Amino acid sequence: MPKELKSPTSSANTAQDVQGIWGMVVDQDLCTGCQACVAACSMENNVPFVGEVDAGYGRSMQWIRIERFWQGSYPNIKATPYQPVMCQNCHNAPCEPVCPVYASVHSLSEDLNLQVYNRCVGTRYCANNCPYEARVFNWRDYMDPRQRPELVTLANHFNPDVTVRRRGVMEKCTFCIQRIRHAEDTAASENRDIRDGEVVPACAQACPASAITFGRIDDPTTKVSQAADTSRGSHLLEELGTIPHVTYLAGGA
Amino acid sequence: MDKKISRRDFLKVAGVGAATTAVLTGCGPASRYVTRQPYTKMPEYTYNGLSTYYATTCRECSAGCGLIVRTMQGRALKAEGNQNNPVNLGKTCARGQTTLEGLYNPDRVTDPIQRDSRGSTIAKKMDWNSAIQVVADALSKNKPDEIAFLMGLAPDHLFDLVTDLTKAIGAAAPIRFGALGMFEARATLVQAASDMFGQEGLPFFDIGNADLVFSFGANFLETWLSPVAQTRGYSQLRRGNPNRRGYFVQFEPRISQTGAKADEWIPVKPGTEALVVLAIGRLVAEANNITLPTAFSNADVNAAAAAADVSVDTLKHLASLFASARRPLAIPGGAALGESNGLQTADAVLALNALVGNIGKDGGVFLSPVAPLTDAYHRPANLKEMSDFVDLLKSGKIKVLFVHGVNPVFELPKSLGLEDAMSKVLQIISFSSFPDETALQSDYVFPDHHGLESWGYQKVATGTSSSVLSGAQPVIVPFFNTKATADVLLAAAQKIGGTLASTLKFTDELAYIQSKLSTLISEPDGFFSAPEINTFTASFQQYGGWWKTTDNRVAPSAGDALNKTFNTSAAQFNGDGDYFFLPFVAPVMAEAGANKPHLQETADPTTTVMWNTWVEINPDTAKQLGIQDDDVVSITSSAGTVEASVYVYPAIRPDTIAMPFGQGHAAYGQFAQGRGANPADLLSNSTNEAGDLAFASMKVSVKKTGKKRQLSRLEGVLGVYGKFGQQ
Repeated sequence: MPKELKSPTSSANTAQDVQGIWGMVVDQDLCTGCQACVAACSMENNVPFVGEVDAGYGRSMQWIRIERFWQGSYPNIKATPYQPVMCQNCHNAPCEPVCPVYASVHSLSEDLNLQVYNRCVGTRYCANNCPYEARVFNWRDYMDPRQRPELVTLANHFNPDVTVRRRGVMEKCTFCIQRIRHAEDTAASENRDIRDGEVVPACAQACPASAITFGRIDDPTTKVSQAADTSRGSHLLEELGTIPHVTYLAGGA
Repeated sequence: MDKKISRRDFLKVAGVGAATTAVLTGCGPASRYVTRQPYTKMPEYTYNGLSTYYATTCRECSAGCGLIVRTMQGRALKAEGNQNNPVNLGKTCARGQTTLEGLYNPDRVTDPIQRDSRGSTIAKKMDWNSAIQVVADALSKNKPDEIAFLMGLAPDHLFDLVTDLTKAIGAAAPIRFGALGMFEARATLVQAASDMFGQEGLPFFDIGNADLVFSFGANFLETWLSPVAQTRGYSQLRRGNPNRRGYFVQFEPRISQTGAKADEWIPVKPGTEALVVLAIGRLVAEANNITLPTAFSNADVNAAAAAADVSVDTLKHLASLFASARRPLAIPGGAALGESNGLQTADAVLALNALVGNIGKDGGVFLSPVAPLTDAYHRPANLKEMSDFVDLLKSGKIKVLFVHGVNPVFELPKSLGLEDAMSKVLQIISFSSFPDETALQSDYVFPDHHGLESWGYQKVATGTSSSVLSGAQPVIVPFFNTKATADVLLAAAQKIGGTLASTLKFTDELAYIQSKLSTLISEPDGFFSAPEINTFTASFQQYGGWWKTTDNRVAPSAGDALNKTFNTSAAQFNGDGDYFFLPFVAPVMAEAGANKPHLQETADPTTTVMWNTWVEINPDTAKQLGIQDDDVVSITSSAGTVEASVYVYPAIRPDTIAMPFGQGHAAYGQFAQGRGANPADLLSNSTNEAGDLAFASMKVSVKKTGKKRQLSRLEGVLGVYGKFGQQ
């Protein structure tokens, strides 16, 4: 973390409950807006597509999106550096206290936000309260072969490690928790700690510019901690005090 | 499937499906496809619940990026980059990620078919034996000069096989074409290298080691040549050296995805790029106190500034940047080459590089490494050659046309008249995996496997400093009743017999590939070597190809580059419309991604539009024409008219309108068909001096139709409710 930014910490009750705190650094100077992360995330996490009309209504379901804004007007116009935005996995997450059924909960040991699909009843309060608009809602059974038999072959590439969500359920970026768990299991079976760089979420894996770094932010020696430690670092909407796990490095000179 | 199927039934069906699917070995060529055994008797390399990974090559474009595909229980689950492959070093673009949606695309051609009539979707299924007989008859009952093959830019092993086949029967060599090659103006780049360096080859721009990049229209972060490799170079340019951040200036009439990353955007007037390059060259020579070389002696800075709509001060500022940079690099590409003087622009840019002495140096211009198994870079057909090919079809001399790996009915400008020419061909056989426009206009479709079900190799044209042959192997058994086109041709050759059968005496596709690979066993500097071909092939499969560990880029001599004379007139435009027309390849979807729903739903990087075609118009121009967002306009050029919704785009010249290429399909499956418009319908067949399509040379008029059609976009829009679906 950059020195002046608040770092997320574990809220575990006892020291032995504390597990790795995962975080991400996104270098906006490197991000070329190519959308490889968006596609990679959708393919890894069984994210459905919603079609043109629903997409137009803002119901598209990608867990990560790339924002760009314009500054100025022709001919002195510039695009702001592309900004991939996903769930920031806030330490003080606004989505959590509003869930009436505890579907949006906090992992005390890892300080991650979890979404429990089979608890979710679809009130959408969490999405309403998320300042990053990182949450997406299943308005329909978009890719369920029982509803849409014409799509049945597409279900073949669904990732068996990730739940396929149904209509009425809220979802969001999980930091590819299945990959974290897989690495943890492998490390445990080999009786060792997870190595830095062993967990690579789908977005970071795909990124052709290597703009996304992922790892343990509670360990100052990891690549992600070192990448974050620069004057270019900032948190999205820092003033809200959410203390996100994602640090952005400013683009431009 | 029954809509009311219960969860229990669904699991039953899914279970049976999983048990009867099959996996294959990655252990060597001796075991081709292995049928999946029951769980109790698993092949030794497969464990229940564990994934198996296969190295192969992405076929979404011809760059030849390596993939590692995760499979489980005989299904392909996820494509990731192959970290070993020097082209992409473990990375992919969005198209590579969604390649599985091509593999499991619900609209694939599942069986060999014979159409009732061309253009009709009613077709009768055939068995593969009779399909092979049809191919054998077509090859043997027609005279050699009545047979034509049209191939795509990938895969290379099939192109080699067809080349061998045509040689054996004495037919003309296969023609190779692809829309990306057309919009990249590859012939122009190759011609420019030969003009300026006296050496053939595809230029290689060492972006990563430069510290200043001037890109004249090159969309090198999108689809151009080898985007993943170039993005890696860009990353290195910016943050590769902790002591300096490379600087990047983009010259183009609209801010593209690539242009949005530039530190400075110079909106030069279309057609004046060469003048700007020459003016900058002159100023650089003056700033560096070099005797003014012939190449830049005709340049008139004031005239260029006026013509290009750029101030003299800006040109001076840019020239001083370029003159003082340690490793300046200029790249020609994109629409700047797709103009009547595109070759002159490319030549001038190479001369500018020669002026600062970066030819053959780190951070400068090289010629791309020549891939293994080839003597030189062989470029795809330019538009001139395609136009000759269409004329040949029109003449009725060709009795049978084979098409593989390309969709020319969609990709070529309508004005070329390909559809009309195809009607003069007695028999058209398509090998397309998808029901695209060309397959629809064929008599037979004998579907090839998807790239992930195929053997093969791709000769890497550019992107990396070493000479690379990317290898492909099937990651699953064929999902549908498809057959490798190579196997179809080999089987047909055996049916015909004679010299053809003895020339192509291979048991199957893999045996053919091995016959080619066998020459590499003794090659020096290989990433691996092997005592004999089977071991070599096993490593080839395991690592996903074979490449050299050395720097194989060619450092050309700058030669006479600075002594060339340039004429200083701007490009010529066709038509009398008020606006320059700038078609560009959709950065995410590219030419063939429209049938993949996740690519359709991925927002365009600059406009955030999804699922449709838009027309970019400057806000001031829109105001003058009384046009607002989502108004449908008709755009008319001398070649045709298309309609599409307007996206008022703040980062485009007021005299230019732009449109993405990739939508507007009349076929190609449920996700692509009947969606958007195709800008190629507006293009004439005029070419630049190198014979490449002058796709950015049209002037068009824009008219409001009074209709409105809301574009879906990711960025916020107020009040979308109730507007969709209404015209």
